[in-house]
Amino acid sequence: MAQDNNREVIYGLYDDEEDLLRAVKLAKTDHLDIYDVFSPFPVHGLDPLLGLEESRLHQAGFIYGALGTMTAFLGMSWIFTKDWPNIFGGKPYWSVPAFIPITFELTVLFAAIGMTVTFYVINGLGPGVVNKHLDDRITDDKFCIAFDKSSVSSEKAQAFFKSTGASEVNSKTI
Amino acid sequence: MNQYTFTSGHRNVLFGAIGIGIVCLILTWIGDDAYHTRFWSNFLHNSVFFTMVACMAVFFIAASITAYSGWHTTFKRIWEAYSMFLIVGVVLLAVVGLGNYMHWHHLYHWSNAADVETDSVLKGKSSFLNNNWYMFGTLIFGGVWAFFAHKLRSLSLDEDNDGDKNFGKHKTMRKYAAVLLPIIGFTSAALIWLWVMSVDAHWYSTLFAWYATASAFVAMIAFTILLIIFLKSNGYFSLVNENHIHDLGKYLFAISIFWTYLWFSQFMLIWYANIGEETIYFRERYDNYPALFFGNLIINFLVPFFILMRNDTKRKFGSASFVAIIMVLGHWLDYFLMIKPGALITRNHALGHGHEAEAGAVGHGEAGGHAVEHVSNFVAGFTMPGLLEIGTFIGFLGLFLYVALTILSKSSLVPKNDPYLDESVHHHVI
Repeated sequence: MAQDNNREVIYGLYDDEEDLLRAVKLAKTDHLDIYDVFSPFPVHGLDPLLGLEESRLHQAGFIYGALGTMTAFLGMSWIFTKDWPNIFGGKPYWSVPAFIPITFELTVLFAAIGMTVTFYVINGLGPGVVNKHLDDRITDDKFCIAFDKSSVSSEKAQAFFKSTGASEVNSKTI
Repeated sequence: MNQYTFTSGHRNVLFGAIGIGIVCLILTWIGDDAYHTRFWSNFLHNSVFFTMVACMAVFFIAASITAYSGWHTTFKRIWEAYSMFLIVGVVLLAVVGLGNYMHWHHLYHWSNAADVETDSVLKGKSSFLNNNWYMFGTLIFGGVWAFFAHKLRSLSLDEDNDGDKNFGKHKTMRKYAAVLLPIIGFTSAALIWLWVMSVDAHWYSTLFAWYATASAFVAMIAFTILLIIFLKSNGYFSLVNENHIHDLGKYLFAISIFWTYLWFSQFMLIWYANIGEETIYFRERYDNYPALFFGNLIINFLVPFFILMRNDTKRKFGSASFVAIIMVLGHWLDYFLMIKPGALITRNHALGHGHEAEAGAVGHGEAGGHAVEHVSNFVAGFTMPGLLEIGTFIGFLGLFLYVALTILSKSSLVPKNDPYLDESVHHHVI
């Protein structure tokens, strides 16, 4: 997370996600406290190993979607019955079937935009934001396990990375 | 256990169900009108429903093979077993087709030669809506489906005893599957028009075949979930787990929404255009079948949408089977609502009362609004499914499961040489 400053981490880079998964499993059994794991793509099976909670993003998505449904349906109902009643094709002012497609569209639009914005805000992303990376290659083809030096000593981490086949071990202050 | 044994316990339950069905059909026949419309419409309704479920099973096998899909392999024998009901289904519907020639029933207005002569709409459609198309369409198209279902299953069984490292059998299946898909796409639409849509002989909708097919698809997925969970509770299918049920649940959820989309697309275009000969279909159902009309949407859209929206409800056997049971009944009701109102109008017309009933007929278009008030009384077995309808459903369900389980007991439940078996065993969706 971006708000932590002056954290000393030691991290190992792996070439393969299978090596990463095996290493994370071993860290769990050795009771090594992992600071974070980085990977260029979502690695299947990593979340339960790290004990990550299920994301609550979809719950926010449901709320945004419901908001879109209400906005569209109530909005159109008000516009076409109170604000500016018009007769289209001899239909009543309050023509529910004609509202359904737009209600659907706004539900999808609100859910999509709301979830995207929420995701960006939570993860500190956005236009113009510069994020510090441990190593640029974790956005390309390297898989990374990082330990906080205050909870795992350098020697222990070095030994761990060596035994699990990390191709490179580095330290960094973030 | 890789081999399902059709125990006498299961067999007796299904015989009992078939017995209930036969008794109900006989009781329906006895208390019926001169044309035995309630009997024949129940017979048609259930035959079409289960035949379409079987048709969707073979369609989904073919689609999965063509799409290089592997997740379903551990339980694909269930779909193979369901698809073999096509042979029985085609025979049942051929009986209805024979009834057209022999005047056993009066389900289809277009099969009455005297009416067609004086009715320019029916006359215009008579090159397609006629007894021969119905009979030979059912036998030939349905027979082709059954042939492919049989072929795909027998190749799949051959594969079990075949150690071919090049997966020759699977490659042959791929060819059959690719040939079947366009065939089933066009012919299923034609048969839906004949079997179901032509009950309302003056009316047509270009979306109807899709809509009826999506309905059967949901029912097929629901039947699959239920049979898997039932067989698992009996100790079979140890390789099938909540991940497979999760994906079936996704299909149940997604195709339910697809069904709603089609339902609404058909409804809204007709509502918006407001042409009398088209709106009569919905006017009739809206006025005389309001509980089923709106109940249909609540059961088949709102229930799966809100219950299956969450991840865990698709995975848990309890919630998945609960929704699956509701879906089976819901789409059975959907077919009920497709067939019964039209059958009732045709019967009333034939029996001489409510001669204005088919308001879509030429010259009657303007009278559409007035026609409704004369036919609005409750008619047992048409306005709402009665006990006899439910009993008939139980009977057909028993027959369907009897055929499926008999087929299932004849082969190993695990297709051990299928190239995708390993992928399916390790299928993992979270």
